Amino acid sequence: MRVMGVGGGAREHAIAWKIGLSDHKPEIFWISENRNPGIHKICKDNQGELRTGRTTDPKTIVRSARGWGIDLVVVGPEEPGFQGIPDALEKEGIQCIGASQELSVIERSKVDLRRLQWENNLPGKLLFRTFKNAREASDYIRKNIDAQPWLQNIVVKPARQSGGKGVKLIEDRKIYLHDDKARFKQAYFTSLQATMAAYSDIEDKILIEEKAWGPEYSLQCFTDGKTVLGTPLVQDNKSAHESDSGPETGGMGSISGPDRTLPFITMEEYDKSLKIVDGIVEAIQKKTGKSYHGMVGGQMMLTENEGPTVIEMYSRLGDPEALNMLAMLKTDIIDVFQAIVERRLSKLKLEFTNEDAVVVKVVAPNGYPERREKAKGHPVQVFETNIKRNGCYLFWGSADLQENGQVVTGGSRLLALMAMDHTLPPASARIEKTVSSIQLTDGWGLYHRSDIGTEQLLAKRQDTAERVRRLYKYREEQGILGRKTEWIPNVGKVDPSQLLLQEVHGPEKA
Amino acid sequence: MPGLIGFYTFGEGRENWDASQFIHYGLSALQGRGQESISLATIEPGNNLRTLGGKGGVEEFFQKNKTSTPKGFIGIGQTSSYLDDYLVHVKAPYELVIGLDGKTDLHENRGEATKLFARQLSQLLHSEKEPLKATSMLINKIGGGYSFVALTHKQELVIGRNPLGVKPLETGSVGFDIGAVASETCALDVMGIDHTGPVETGEVIMFTPEDIRGNTPTTDPANFCSYEYVYLARLDSNVNTLPVARVRNRIGKELAKAHPANADVVIGVPETALPIANGYSQESGIPQELGFVRTGENIRAALKPTQKERLMGVQLKLNPVKSAFDGKDVVLVDDSVVRGNTLKNTVLNIKRDGAHKVHVRIGSPALLSPCPYGVEIPTRDELISANLDEKEIANNVGADSISFMTVEQLQHAIGLPRQNLCMRCFERGGAAG
Repeated sequence: MRVMGVGGGAREHAIAWKIGLSDHKPEIFWISENRNPGIHKICKDNQGELRTGRTTDPKTIVRSARGWGIDLVVVGPEEPGFQGIPDALEKEGIQCIGASQELSVIERSKVDLRRLQWENNLPGKLLFRTFKNAREASDYIRKNIDAQPWLQNIVVKPARQSGGKGVKLIEDRKIYLHDDKARFKQAYFTSLQATMAAYSDIEDKILIEEKAWGPEYSLQCFTDGKTVLGTPLVQDNKSAHESDSGPETGGMGSISGPDRTLPFITMEEYDKSLKIVDGIVEAIQKKTGKSYHGMVGGQMMLTENEGPTVIEMYSRLGDPEALNMLAMLKTDIIDVFQAIVERRLSKLKLEFTNEDAVVVKVVAPNGYPERREKAKGHPVQVFETNIKRNGCYLFWGSADLQENGQVVTGGSRLLALMAMDHTLPPASARIEKTVSSIQLTDGWGLYHRSDIGTEQLLAKRQDTAERVRRLYKYREEQGILGRKTEWIPNVGKVDPSQLLLQEVHGPEKA
Repeated sequence: MPGLIGFYTFGEGRENWDASQFIHYGLSALQGRGQESISLATIEPGNNLRTLGGKGGVEEFFQKNKTSTPKGFIGIGQTSSYLDDYLVHVKAPYELVIGLDGKTDLHENRGEATKLFARQLSQLLHSEKEPLKATSMLINKIGGGYSFVALTHKQELVIGRNPLGVKPLETGSVGFDIGAVASETCALDVMGIDHTGPVETGEVIMFTPEDIRGNTPTTDPANFCSYEYVYLARLDSNVNTLPVARVRNRIGKELAKAHPANADVVIGVPETALPIANGYSQESGIPQELGFVRTGENIRAALKPTQKERLMGVQLKLNPVKSAFDGKDVVLVDDSVVRGNTLKNTVLNIKRDGAHKVHVRIGSPALLSPCPYGVEIPTRDELISANLDEKEIANNVGADSISFMTVEQLQHAIGLPRQNLCMRCFERGGAAG
């Protein structure tokens, strides 16, 4: 059997690694933008090859798959899905694991996701509002902030995926700092408007969402369109630096295990989260008429208002969360993929280790994420024996294997180190012992987060989770879980969700 | 709501006193009644009646006007929670300056109502042969709830409290030289003047260079403002001969008896509710802890004129002491709930800081109606208790329970007969709102 992967990050390296461990002994082929040294080696060891090419170009992908006589394609990143790679492959009769273009809208468009949740009254949703331009956004907030207090603490996002425009969390918690916050907000709206002007495919360019507070976690799932199977929860760490400070990254490391859930999330919360993801998959299939087969993930947060709540959706596995999940997966991954394409996931026995906790830490060159050009092109040296001796695994990410055999940095997250142990802290410690095995020979610096998986950070997560849990449990006891109604002096009882439903459905249906 | 000071001197050398100094410190002590607008009037040797008014606070006002403050040897002062609310100056027919706490019923608007009252007083002091008697008749005629201090160009200080007695006014003296009045006894203390007793309901007193004359107070039952005991008056004052501190302690005890709660700690919302929390703690046996620290100066947030300023006041005033709440079931004691914004903010913050259950206990009945006499209790649309029941309030602010006192419990805690207490803000269908 011949399997082809698409994408060249640490997540794809881990998928390749897992495929290489399959009892089906498939031949492994790959297409990625960079020559990922890890994937390159796995392909070579498994009678295949890694070819560089545009992973978002359907022609390139289809041509290679046909040329290699591929039986099954696994798409790693989101962009190929957004560009319709799975659709193109299936049209050619090639089986593909990956959300089709229309289904991947749950990740591509944050607005469509929120609308989908509200239209179908699904659990785990946040208040939101979209605007055509910066002025409209500021005016609306100014006019409504008294009657709709959620507008005080908001998350500002581009309304669709757009090259590098990030998320801003603006908490207007202290009224004496209000003017400054309003100024900052206005400036960001304006800059978003400028960036988003390039996208003519949507009318509303700016999205604001209610800012929730609580621990985040990812629930990654396999689905064949009929069944959604949850995998162990993983927590990624998005801030670049220690103690959750610094700029937003793609993820600096993640933890999971030893159980199906995390030490600070209950099984009840797990089950609710799974139901939420399941509901979204069902709703998007109903809306598009397409069948979802591949991976889907909920970027979840435990919130004061409702408990498990969707922050964003993934139409693929997370990076680096995929590493944790795949490390814990005991079932042969080819069996999982086959069950997906044959739509018999409900009969599959999906097994995970319950003895090992997994810690993943990303190593990134200085300059990432804000000055990527500076972070690019530095030669990398790895002491592999040291890594093995400490029982760690290395997964290459933004790295490029050059003709002369030298690996250089690609400017983004260079690689991920992974370790397993009975609990998280010793696994974290193992990586700490190992991380000096990675160096840049030109003297350029590397950094990683030493706090991920430590006792201290876990205690902090636990503490936050308990505080939030008490707040949403309180609402549950009072029978107001998830309800957004507030009484506002001089205004009366306001239910912003009713206003939102009017937006979503039009006034007559709401 | 204003705080009033009247300062009078007698005897030889009286011109040497600087009344503005006394008024300055007296008003400082009264700034808990609001300090948006500050004004004073004094008489200088040569009978010049001079006035000055400006934006507060008290300290800023006197700092800013160091050189221009009219000194004088007798005078009156007013600090008010309202914007642009100054002493009223009437030039003719009988020149006088008046400060009034509360509201007469001569006009909807407090300022206008005060002006009309001042004109009538001026007219009557000008034409009546027995001004004391006439003034006494005036306050019996003109309704509303108010106390006033007035300074005339003839070096007279006329003070009075209308028969309803809603608004406090206290007298004091020291030695042979100084007589004074103030809205609260704490101001007399701060001015170094001995408290001699309350101005009785329906009482008018005239200080003249020759003598001090008073009428016979009315025998009608007084209708003292109960909110003075709950929130308005300063802890170190006596209101209508009752020590505020003792009343607030009893409120706390009554509250604990009527509305017990299972908790690890009792925490009062500063400043007013601290002694109430203390009483709750003593009665219930649950230890009291200090739960909040203030940043910057002490602001009476509830008396601020705009929502923004009120929120600002609260947020700067109530930074939680996290260890006081973390992991504990809390009885959170406050004096009253107006709009519920403060409480919502506070409960959410302390729950985020780790409080488990939060049982809110309020040291007064639910506020249901605005005050007809000018206390800053807003219209019903802004009063949370006028719109929501207890469970809804609890849910709105995020508390596990909330309990208010009944009117009877509060009356019992104050210890005065029901008919002597004004509780219209705690009743539905009080003043129109």
